[in-house]
Amino acid sequence: MRRWYVIAAPYIWLLLFFLVPFFIVFKLSLSDTARAMPPYVPVYDMTLGLANFFSQLDFENYSFLLSDPLYINAYISSLKIAAVATLFTLFVGYPIAYGMARAPREWRPTLMMLVILPFWTSFLIRVYAWIGILKKEGLLNLFLMNYGIITEPLNIMNTTTAVYIGIVYSYLPFMILPLYSSLEKISPALNEAAEDLGSPPWRAFWQVTFPLSMPGVIAGCLLVFIPATGEFVIPDLLGGSETLMIGKTLWSEFFNNSDWPVSSAVAVVLLLALVVPIVVFQRAQQREREAV
Amino acid sequence: MSELASFPAAATNAAPPRSGPRSFAPQSGFSPWNDPSQAPIVRFDNVTKQFGDFVAVKSCTLDIYEREFFALLGPSGCGKSTLLRMLAGFEQPTDGRIMVQGQDITALPPYERSDVNMMFQSYALFPHMTVERNIGFGLRQEGMPKGEIAARVEEAMAMVELKPFANRKPNQLSGGQQQRVALARAIAKKPRIMLLDEPLGALDKKLRQQAQFELMRIQESTGTTFIIVTHDQEEAMTVASRIAVMDKGNIIQVATPNDIYETPKSRYVAGFIGDVNVLEGKVSGIADGIIDIEGAVSGCHYKTRSNEPVSIGQQVWLAIRPEKVRITHDKPQSATNVVSGKVDDVGYLGSISHYHVKIGNGQRVTALRANTAMTVGPPISWEDDVWMDWPTEAGIILTS
Repeated sequence: MRRWYVIAAPYIWLLLFFLVPFFIVFKLSLSDTARAMPPYVPVYDMTLGLANFFSQLDFENYSFLLSDPLYINAYISSLKIAAVATLFTLFVGYPIAYGMARAPREWRPTLMMLVILPFWTSFLIRVYAWIGILKKEGLLNLFLMNYGIITEPLNIMNTTTAVYIGIVYSYLPFMILPLYSSLEKISPALNEAAEDLGSPPWRAFWQVTFPLSMPGVIAGCLLVFIPATGEFVIPDLLGGSETLMIGKTLWSEFFNNSDWPVSSAVAVVLLLALVVPIVVFQRAQQREREAV
Repeated sequence: MSELASFPAAATNAAPPRSGPRSFAPQSGFSPWNDPSQAPIVRFDNVTKQFGDFVAVKSCTLDIYEREFFALLGPSGCGKSTLLRMLAGFEQPTDGRIMVQGQDITALPPYERSDVNMMFQSYALFPHMTVERNIGFGLRQEGMPKGEIAARVEEAMAMVELKPFANRKPNQLSGGQQQRVALARAIAKKPRIMLLDEPLGALDKKLRQQAQFELMRIQESTGTTFIIVTHDQEEAMTVASRIAVMDKGNIIQVATPNDIYETPKSRYVAGFIGDVNVLEGKVSGIADGIIDIEGAVSGCHYKTRSNEPVSIGQQVWLAIRPEKVRITHDKPQSATNVVSGKVDDVGYLGSISHYHVKIGNGQRVTALRANTAMTVGPPISWEDDVWMDWPTEAGIILTS
């Protein structure tokens, strides 16, 4: 009996805090806007009955999303920005994780601590701090101009480049940690064996180390890609008007236009777009478990 | 498929198993180390390796000849693995040179030492590759044509009876099978020198003995020079043509298994290889190749035939193998090499028995007796007063 409780706990949690809210959002996405409080119809009314309630729901908002290129572009742009930023994060994170995994054993906990350290400061504050670095008269431009590397200040702030920097910075630990955990498991003897068999170090890396770190690469990429796609704070603070991301669109639909039904539809479509990578992620994890 | 069933080659096609240590004795004709016209295939020239303050290998000089099965033997931390890893190229000597076929390879990285391949203690199989891909790995690095790789892999798999497992991943194999993949992967490169770092350490005893003969068969059929690192003296005695006994970074003695056993150079070597009784004493006379020793145990007098250059009054140790000590209830006729004592312990091992006897100063001397029907007289038991003696040829004079 006690065991049943233990198993049920996470499912009840998911039901209450994921499935129920999801259905509320889904229902909202099938409703129409109204100048009322709450700003949508229908609201379930017992006197009119269920049949009447369901008859008022439709997929109008979804066809609206598909017909307006603004939304489609925002989705595509979000996926693109998230994908490019994920690749950059991988390029930055892999050498760091590799260095950590090859560092002397007694240093590793300290290095791990340093990777996690930024989490002790609020995410919002850390993204804000980047404004101070990237803006026209910011630290980066001051530094570069001071040393005569550039004469004109770089225009990074309020561009997509700033968004990339923000995402790479913010999500780097999510890339490093799974990478580190899979790289650390690879025995250095495997590289020695590869070298002994005639493979120079860089080729040994591509033939042995990299394929064996694949579970970490996949996990890290998905952990960055999924939240980056729906990212709102970073494009809002660092991006400019040309940076189109679905998180921002959602926000303005909800707060500026007060169009709850359309923004709910945007959220549902975003969720569906992310379910695919989540399934891929779980499959990869499954495979890693089976491989052990 | 069981381990035993997958080893038919070892039992049938193999060359008849050699009878242990004596197979490479001088009379078999293979002793290039005694032939001054032979050039060694591997030469460690005054090689020293330091890790920080720790000296792992102290100016070692060692020649190894083609087609030898050479064993580096010693306890863990004696520097034997470091010596091997320097030959493979994973460690750089702090001082000295390493020569292969007369060429200085000290500065070459491992991937440019094409004459040398290593079999790792942990096997270091690539977990993401099948058996076939693992074995072919080294050949693909050479850019060998595909067809040739397939043929060589096939050949290597046949040699170690792995064909049925070609498409398995290493984690789907037993320990013994993994060991054979590791061996095949190194041998597929057809190196002139094969390095084996504790290759059989992870196997159980029965499997290990089979694998030892397997290694000897492959070594003989391929004509490769094998250098094995082991801490198991029995293993070294079984497989090796010569053994280098190491201690604390020094090579103490290099000799055939037979010589190491019969004429160890020091108490350390004598004690490391097999059981030995060591009796302390002072040289009291030298005549006609017979050395008289006044035993540290009062009243004990030993005579032994030896060419060891010693002087009167010098402190020496007499090493006697337990199987050369005769144990009886009655006092033997001869007057030399006789000690008496009380049986302290009897170890019955089936075919043989060990008798641990306490003599004068509380020292224990072990005698070994085969349990044959020929043994006469009442059985020797605990607390019995016994006499022990040995011929003058049995004792070995050790000066260190």
